[in-house]
Parts: sequence; structure tokens; C-alpha cells
Amino acid sequence: MNGFEYIGKNIGKIDAMALATGQPLFTDDISFPNILHIKILYSPHAHAIIEDIDTSEAEKIPRVKLILTYKNTPQVLHTTAGQGWPEPSPYDTCMFNKKVRYVGDRVAAVAAETEEIAYEALKHIKVNYKKLPAVFDPEEAMKEGAPVIHDEEGISGVYNPKRNIVSHIEVKAGDIEKGFEESDVVVEDTFEMQYAQHCPIEPHATITYLDEYGRLVIRTSTQVPFHVRRIVAQVLEIPVQNIRVIKPRIGGGFGVKQEIILEEISAFVTLKTSRPARLVYTREEEFVSSRTRHPMKVTVKIGAKKNGIFNAIKMYALSNNGAYGTHGLTVTSNTGSKTLPLYNKAPNIEFIADVAYTNLPVAGAYRGYGATQGYAALEQVVDEIAEKLGMGPAEIRKINHIKTGETSPIFKALGEGREGVTQYIQSEATDKLLELGTKEIGWYEKIRKPAKEATKVRGIGMALLMQGSGIPLIDMGAATIKLNEDGSFNVLYGGTDIGTGLDTVVAQIVSETLGVKPEQIIVYAADTDVTPFDKGAYASSGTFISGGAVYNAALKVREQILEVTKEIFGEFNTKDFILKDGFVISEKSGKKVSLSEIAYQTLYLKKQQQIMATSSFVSDSSPPPFAAHFIEIEVDKETGIITPIKYVAAVDCGVAINPELAKGQIIGSIVNGIGYALTEEYKFSQTGKLINSNFMEYRIPSSRDIPDIKTILVETYEPKGPYGAKSVAEININGPIPAIGNALYNALGIRIHKLPYTPEKVLEALKNKGA
Amino acid sequence: MLKLKEVGQCFYPNTIEEAAKLLKESGEDTRIVGGGLHLTAFPNPAIKTLIFLNNLKLNYIKEIDGKISIGATTTISELANSAEMNGYLKGNVKKLLQSIASELLRNQITMGGSVAQREPYSDIVTMLLTLRADIVIHDGEKEIKTPISDFYKSNFRATLKKSVIKEVLLEKFDSTYKFGMKRFTRNATDIPLLNFGILAQVNEDTIKNVSIVVGARPGPAERFAQAEEFLKNKTLSKELAEEFGKFVEENVDVAGDIRVGKEYRAHIAGIFAKRILNEFMEE
Amino acid sequence: MKVHYKINGEEKEFDIQPGELLLDVLRRNNYTEIKGNCYLGTCGACAVLINEVAKATCTTLAAQVNNAEIITIKGIGTISEPHLLQKAFVEKGAVQCGFCTPGTIISAYALLKNNPDPTEEDIKRSIDGNLCRCTGYVQQIEAIKFAIKLLKGGK
Repeated sequence: MNGFEYIGKNIGKIDAMALATGQPLFTDDISFPNILHIKILYSPHAHAIIEDIDTSEAEKIPRVKLILTYKNTPQVLHTTAGQGWPEPSPYDTCMFNKKVRYVGDRVAAVAAETEEIAYEALKHIKVNYKKLPAVFDPEEAMKEGAPVIHDEEGISGVYNPKRNIVSHIEVKAGDIEKGFEESDVVVEDTFEMQYAQHCPIEPHATITYLDEYGRLVIRTSTQVPFHVRRIVAQVLEIPVQNIRVIKPRIGGGFGVKQEIILEEISAFVTLKTSRPARLVYTREEEFVSSRTRHPMKVTVKIGAKKNGIFNAIKMYALSNNGAYGTHGLTVTSNTGSKTLPLYNKAPNIEFIADVAYTNLPVAGAYRGYGATQGYAALEQVVDEIAEKLGMGPAEIRKINHIKTGETSPIFKALGEGREGVTQYIQSEATDKLLELGTKEIGWYEKIRKPAKEATKVRGIGMALLMQGSGIPLIDMGAATIKLNEDGSFNVLYGGTDIGTGLDTVVAQIVSETLGVKPEQIIVYAADTDVTPFDKGAYASSGTFISGGAVYNAALKVREQILEVTKEIFGEFNTKDFILKDGFVISEKSGKKVSLSEIAYQTLYLKKQQQIMATSSFVSDSSPPPFAAHFIEIEVDKETGIITPIKYVAAVDCGVAINPELAKGQIIGSIVNGIGYALTEEYKFSQTGKLINSNFMEYRIPSSRDIPDIKTILVETYEPKGPYGAKSVAEININGPIPAIGNALYNALGIRIHKLPYTPEKVLEALKNKGA
Repeated sequence: MLKLKEVGQCFYPNTIEEAAKLLKESGEDTRIVGGGLHLTAFPNPAIKTLIFLNNLKLNYIKEIDGKISIGATTTISELANSAEMNGYLKGNVKKLLQSIASELLRNQITMGGSVAQREPYSDIVTMLLTLRADIVIHDGEKEIKTPISDFYKSNFRATLKKSVIKEVLLEKFDSTYKFGMKRFTRNATDIPLLNFGILAQVNEDTIKNVSIVVGARPGPAERFAQAEEFLKNKTLSKELAEEFGKFVEENVDVAGDIRVGKEYRAHIAGIFAKRILNEFMEE
Repeated sequence: MKVHYKINGEEKEFDIQPGELLLDVLRRNNYTEIKGNCYLGTCGACAVLINEVAKATCTTLAAQVNNAEIITIKGIGTISEPHLLQKAFVEKGAVQCGFCTPGTIISAYALLKNNPDPTEEDIKRSIDGNLCRCTGYVQQIEAIKFAIKLLKGGK
């Protein structure tokens, strides 16, 4: 069909059958003899100094082996953010701090021989807190006189600790005020996005042990094994070489496991006791004491000319990082960097953002990574200005979106902690996305709708999106491929499949390049002793960066094979050779030799060598995938209940190496996004305690909550990606909020500015409209 | 994680008399285990003794003396899938049962357990109150039958310290009876944040023998006497439904909580009231 | 106290504390195919068949189901001899991280035992207690429909 044997094919995920038959693949599925169970003591106060901790009673309990507090652990300020070094997040926490900064902040840890004993021991730890006033609102936190959350010595990477400002971002192009003056129509609106949690069905889990040589091994549910190794080395003040990190199968990450929060504790226990240790979060701990989405208030102002072309776009984002600053700068940078370039026609752009500390649970990386909040606002203001101009939502986007060959000053101006990188779009089919998407949902029929006297009213809305593929000039992945006697290959790469199917995509890339079936590819990944480096699973970099490294390594191996073949065939133009079905074939003479023969020859017989190559890959650009989302909702005017009816996502992720896996990423993101739009939120008590920290009260979608979802893959060819691929993992989670918000306006003429869109808010908005 | 640390004894009585006697003899920290959901999801660490009803075979649904008798350990799923529920009140009870919570919980939640716990957000309690069910308990010597609303008006928790729920009896309402129950949830498998049930006999559009129940108020489900009075002997019509909806909104006894506000609860109770009556007209 | 089960066809006896949950008893006896830790019966990753009914092991007392017949995912099919449902899940992209998969297949298996010709609503209802954050459920539903087709067509 497309000239490829394995690219673009729906090969079943190589680990899927093992997973579907319950093999022990996850961190907590393998135990070790003499293991110690670790439980953590958390702060009941939102802001307090620990004046003293007395663990003596707890230590007396039989079978309690070790208790950790700030008193007996290294006081090394670091960031928990699993990012490339030097991490663009503040070094504002130690393993255990002398101050607690949110309800759920850690105070102590007990390692005991059973979980029950560890829990019991927690109750006997006496802590003397000196309570401090707490602040829960980011705007209040940045005001003069607000309680200072980070006043400790030695922190770094914080913009203004005295005013609780983690980061302040300002990026300008052109002249924004002039831009608005020149505009014929100007619209401004503000949207507030709420706390949400990733809810991976497998919570955080870490097991550590000493191997036979006394070396520390960390087996952990992580997205970032190499960053785990480096940061644990930093925090425990031991050399990197003393640590091995192994990533087993991961039960979902979505960004929450792009963080080093359990590994250092478990590792420390193992080092101090010489025993294996286990630290697994309960669901409640997952909600309270891991990481969340950044709540954000985003204001967007767009000025446009009469003809609909945007002339000025201004965005202000106020981001709430919670008690620590992890991912603060980078998430909020993405709020602008992944959204503003979409509408590159505007020469006047301003992006300003503040990231504040508050005494609340800590925000971190979450699929979409700031772009979700940015699009929630931007795509609704685009609709608002379209209405003012008398243009349709699809039309206004059509004339404003970035096109092939174009660029935006934002690419260079807004990086992730460092300066960004200029890039030109080389793969894009946005008009096709709009065309196919509007057709599938029946946009033009439904937008002209009958009168709205009915109790249940339908509405349609859309959103246009872009994201990125990896972080340019920063993200690096590497891979090694070697040939075995039977013509099979080992692929050792650092890439981190967290359930996404990256290992399978990688097998397909190698299969295509070397002409062998995926069953002949043995993929082993993300083991810091065995595989080369990879930055880990984030920034939508799996296929593009990790896959890019594997592709380059495969090309090198191909060269080696062809070189050896020259002598075997007695032909010297390798351009005549092809690799197919496990053979090298000369198209000139018809001669063939199997890879297995080549392997036996090179391993044992003549000019012996291991056919093997390693390659690294960094990209100088981050080619954006694009998506056009459309939703039809039904709103019950009397109850305010919004029911998603049909969702259409037209997606350009370059060449989809495995379309079924891409579809899975698209649909999973959309359903998650629908939950974020309609039902997911954190509820706090007056004292900053999270109240709804379980699945009964924090509502994520079930199989009965999904609309009819249709995905349309529109293929483009991205020259910088392996076999033309871009990313698909994050972009689609950004669609539901603005699409639903726009559909709500289409249905009832109301726009809700605070998420989630609950029935109460719908009725409130109808009342205010005077319906 | 072991939360029920103090449990020392487990009994598996073979008759309900035995079960009730064991309950009386075992003291304060004893629990009869129905489905076991409440016991395990919200464990009380003081519990010392458990009495399992497995051997009593109380998971039956049968017709006896013109009533539908549902054994105490019958689960929501078993009841929903029973032949008896297929045509019962035009299948509206079956539809309701199928929508409660989620499949694994429907497979575990029992009639007896629901009645005994009387959770404010129990749909089963609201449903049984609406259907004017009878609760049959066994006190070790004899069976005692009580209409459910009387049961809840009495000190039922004290009673259940010495008696075991045996079954629930539903009347076999004829085709003049109509039943409707609606629930407000945040999404499909949620507990209700407000539920509202109406059972009425409608003869040539005149409403009689009506019971109306509001639950998850957020307080426990209760008969809404005022609303029953309002509908008594009235003629079913679109205008009545409108009026009734407004009456309910203005008079229903609800409060706000962390999940949803008072105003919304009252409002949706009114909408449900109106819509159920409208559905009665369409049947 | 001692409890006795027949698990995946094998007679087993375990020592338990009377108040222990079935999830904990099974996992520490190496039935690591049973997942989950919400302990509220809400995520479904811990589901098994107990006397042919799909139940959450995190809200089931080990003592309550003494002498029961328990089937875990491994009793439905193994990596060398998978069940049609498992093959369908693999083929239709219904397995991403795989953590919810055993529990979801348990629920689907129970559905097909009781109702060989379910509607789409029936299918959605059967797995509504198995939360999945990866797939968004669409491919899982397609896999179940595909399995039904295969089962009807006599494999």
C-alpha cells in the first residue's frame, strides 16, 4: 500500500500478550526476600516549621528497622523534576525538609518488616510543629506580605522567593499595543483551569536492593530512568556508577512519573540496611503527595483585522505550582510556546506568565504540559473573535493557522529553560484536517440549527491544536543494535515505553530498515547499566527522538551488513543490495545471502566482528503534530448536564508507524481530556487538606461516559522524523476543554470561565444570561 | 493492607436462627456480613467478630403469596438479571438497577446490606422506600415483618444488633401502578448526589396510593409526605407536572455538601419530579 | 485461620488473618496477576471471578469466600495458550500499559458467559467498573465485539 512492509502496519504490541495474560511485569510484581516496607508520615498542616521530631518510641517497636527524618538524611537541595541536566526547575527541596509546605508534605519515613508495623510506627512518631500562616491562592501568594513559602538558605532557580514567584516569563515580538490599536476587532477573555491528577491505574512504586556485588539497584515505575540515576546520585551523594536503574513495565505515567519522589527514600533505606526495600503509594497518596496538573488562570487577548487575520495576540498565564517549583518554568513556557505559533499570522505577540508557590499539593508534568491550559483559553477566544467578525470557527482558523514552510518568532523566543530554536514547518495538512473533520461531524449541517426551545439542546464546537515532538537541541536518545546467529537483532535503547507501545514502534522501525520480521527483534529498554542513554518518556519524544536514535543505529548496522555482503557477492556497489525477509539480495545479479549466514561468518569464521552499531539522536527542531477536534454535545437546559455525543479528531502525526497504537493515544487523551473538562477537580478544606482523594469522589470517565469517538489520521511526511513520523502522545488531550466550551456556546450562548463545566455552573451561566 | 486487625472469629451459621443467636451472643463488635462492601471499604478497626451468611442461601428471588420475595444476600446484579424484574413495573426497576454504581459493585452490593447500612447515597434504600417494601427480619426465634418506612422510623440499628435481615418483600403491583426513579450523578458510575422516586397508582389519570422518596439529600432517604399530599387525588397532566416540579423544588428538604450545593439539589429534585410525572403520562 | 480455595482449577490452602482482604492474601501468595490498590472497589484492576461472578478482591474478605472457586486471568488463558478474548485485546490495540487489562478481561469474560449476544450498552456496562486511563475504552469495546464474532463463528 504505502511501499513499506512494517511501517504503517497495525502490529500487535510486542508486550501485549504478556500483559493480557497477567505476567509479572510491573515493579511490585516481584518481591525479594527480607524486604522492608516503607511508609511515609505526612504533614497535617499546610505550612509549618518542624521544631522537633522524636522517633524514639517508634524505633522501639520490634521489626522496625529504620526511621528517616531531616535529622538523619542528606540535606541536599535538588529538584524532583525528571528533566535533562541542568534541570530548569528550582532546587528547592531536600529528601526531608525542616519545614512542611502543604498538607501531605513528607515528614518522616519508617522502614519495617511488614506494612502493618510500618503504619503502626508512624503513629508513634512525635512531631512538634510551629504552624505558620498559609496561602492557597497564587495571586495572594505573590502579594507583598504573603507568607514566604521558600525562605531556606541555598535554594536556586527561583525567580523571587520572597514573593513566592517560582518563575516569571516575558516574551515579546513586534509591538503589542500598536497591534491592538491597528486591529478592527479586539476580544479578551480569561479562563481558569483546575487541579487534576493523572490517575495512572498503577500508582508510584519503587523497589530497591543491593545486587550480588553490593551495588544499588533501583527497580521503579518511572518515565525517566536516567534522570532517576543522576538525581538519586546527587541526593544521596554517591557516584552515578554505584547505581543501576531498571524500568519494568509501567502501569501508566502521563507525566506523573516524570519525577523522582520515592526512589531516593527507598535507595537510602537499602543502603543503610543492606536490605531490599519497597515503597508503593496508596491511591490516596497518589492524589495528595505525588504530582498534579498546574492549575492556571489564562487570559488571552486577540486583535484582528476586518478580514479576519489576527494582528495581535497577548496571553497572560498565572500558574499555581503548589508547594514546590518542579516543572514550573517549563510547563508555563509551553502554555505559550505550544499555542501561539499556531496562529503565526499575527506579527505582534506578547506572552507573560507568573508561576507561584502556594501551600497546596505540588503540580508537575501532565500530558499536554501547559499547552492544555493554553488551548483551553486560546481556542475559545478564537471562537469569540470569529463571532465578532461574523466568521465561522473553521473559516477563521483556516486563514490564520501556520502552514508548511512558515515559522513563528515564538519558536526561538520561548524554549524550555533555555532559549528556543527557530524552526520551519515541514509537514502540515491542517486544511485537510479541517476539511475531513468538519465533514465527519457534519459541521455545516449542524451549525445551522433549529430553534432552541427544546429542553435538550445540541451544540457543536471545535478546537485546532499543535504540540511538538521532543525538545529541540536538548532531548537526546541513543540506541545499540546487534546481530545474532539466527538473523535476529537485539535492540538496546534507553527509550521508555510506559504503555504507549514505543518498544513496538521501535521494533517496526528496525524491521523496516533491516528487512526482518518484528518477531525477530528483541527489544530491551531503559536499563542504565545495559542500554544507552535516553532522556525518558516526556515531551512527546518517543517515536521522534528515541525512534530516531534506533533508526540511525539501524542504518549503521545496515551499512555494516552491506559491507560484509560485498565480499560474499563479489559485487561492490551496495546501492544494488536490498534487505528483505531476512536476506540481503542483489538486485543486479539476484544473488542472496541470509542474515543468519552473515552472522555465522562474522561471529565465527572470517574477519570476525560483532555486527553492531550505536547511534544517538538529537533534533534541531520539534516538528509539531497538528489536530483538529470537533465535538457535538447535548445540554439539558433544566439540569445543566452536558453529554458528549460525538467526538471527531483529525490528526496529523506525520507517518503513523503503527496506526492502531496512534489511535489508542488519540482516544485515551480525548477521554482523559473530557474528564478534565467535565468532572475532574480537587476539593480542599479550609485548611488546605485535599478532601476527595479517591476514585469515589474524584471522578474519572468510565466506559459508560464516552461519546462516539472517531479518529481520522491524515498522513504527512516529516523529513526530520524516522520514516516521516512526528509525535501523537500529548496533543489530543488539549482538545476537549475548548471544543466543549465552544460547543456550549453554540448550544446555549453561554461561556463558562471556570473549569470543570459542571451542571451547577451551566445553570448559573444560564441564569446570568437571563435565559 | 490489614485494617480489620481485631477480627478474631468468623462464623458460618447454617440457619438464620443460628445467625441471629450468634449475633446476640457475640457482643458489641460483631458484624453480619452481607456483600461485605461497607465493611471492607470503610473498615471499623474495632470489629472483632464476623458472621457470614453464605450458607443461608439467602440469594433468591421468588414469588410467594402474591409478593416478590428477595433474599437478603441477593445482589443488585442478581435482582437486575432476574426474570421477575423483566416486566415488573414496566421494566423500570430493572433499568434503574442496571445503572447503579459499576458492575463489580453491583455484583457485590446486597439488598440486606443496603437496608442495614442505610447509606444516604443508597439507591436501593430509596427504591425500596418508594416501592413500600416490607423488611423481614429474624430475631433468633421468629420472623418479624415491618414496612420499610416504619423500620427506619424505629431504632433499626439497635434492632439489627439482635436480628438478621432475611428478605425484602415487594408487592406485585398491577398495571395501574407506575414507578419512576431518577438520580443525579457526576458521571455514570457515581453514587447519586440526589435521587428521587415516585410510585403511584394512576386510574384514569387520577393519582392515588402515591409514595415519593428523596435520598442523598445529602441525608438519608425519606418519604416526602408533603409531596405525597400534594399529588393525592390530583389529575395527571402537563400542568400538574410543572406545578409539582416547582412545589418540590420549593419544599424539598435538602442541604449542600462538598459534592453539590443546596440550591442545585432542590432544583434537580424538582426537575426529576416533573419528568417522572411526564413519563407516567407517556407510559 | 485457614482458608481453602480452588484457584484456576488448583486446590489451595492459605493461612490468613481473619480480617484480611482477598487481594492481599492472593498477591502475597504469588497471584501477582491481580492488580490495583484503591481498596474501595472503584478501579477494578483487582477483579477475579468468584464462583463465576466478577468481583473486586480489594473489597472481598478472604474469609467470606472460603471454599470458593476463583478464576484469575491466568485461569482464562496463558501466554502459551491465550483465550480468544486475550487474542482479541492484543489484536485490537486494547492493551496499552496493560495494568487494567487482567481485570477488564475478567469482566468481559463474565459478560460473555452470561450473555453471548450483548448489545453495545451491555458491553459498556460490563466493564464500567474497570477504570482505564490509557485506552479511553473504545478499543477495549471493539476487542470484546471482535471476540464475540470469533466465538460465534466457531473460532
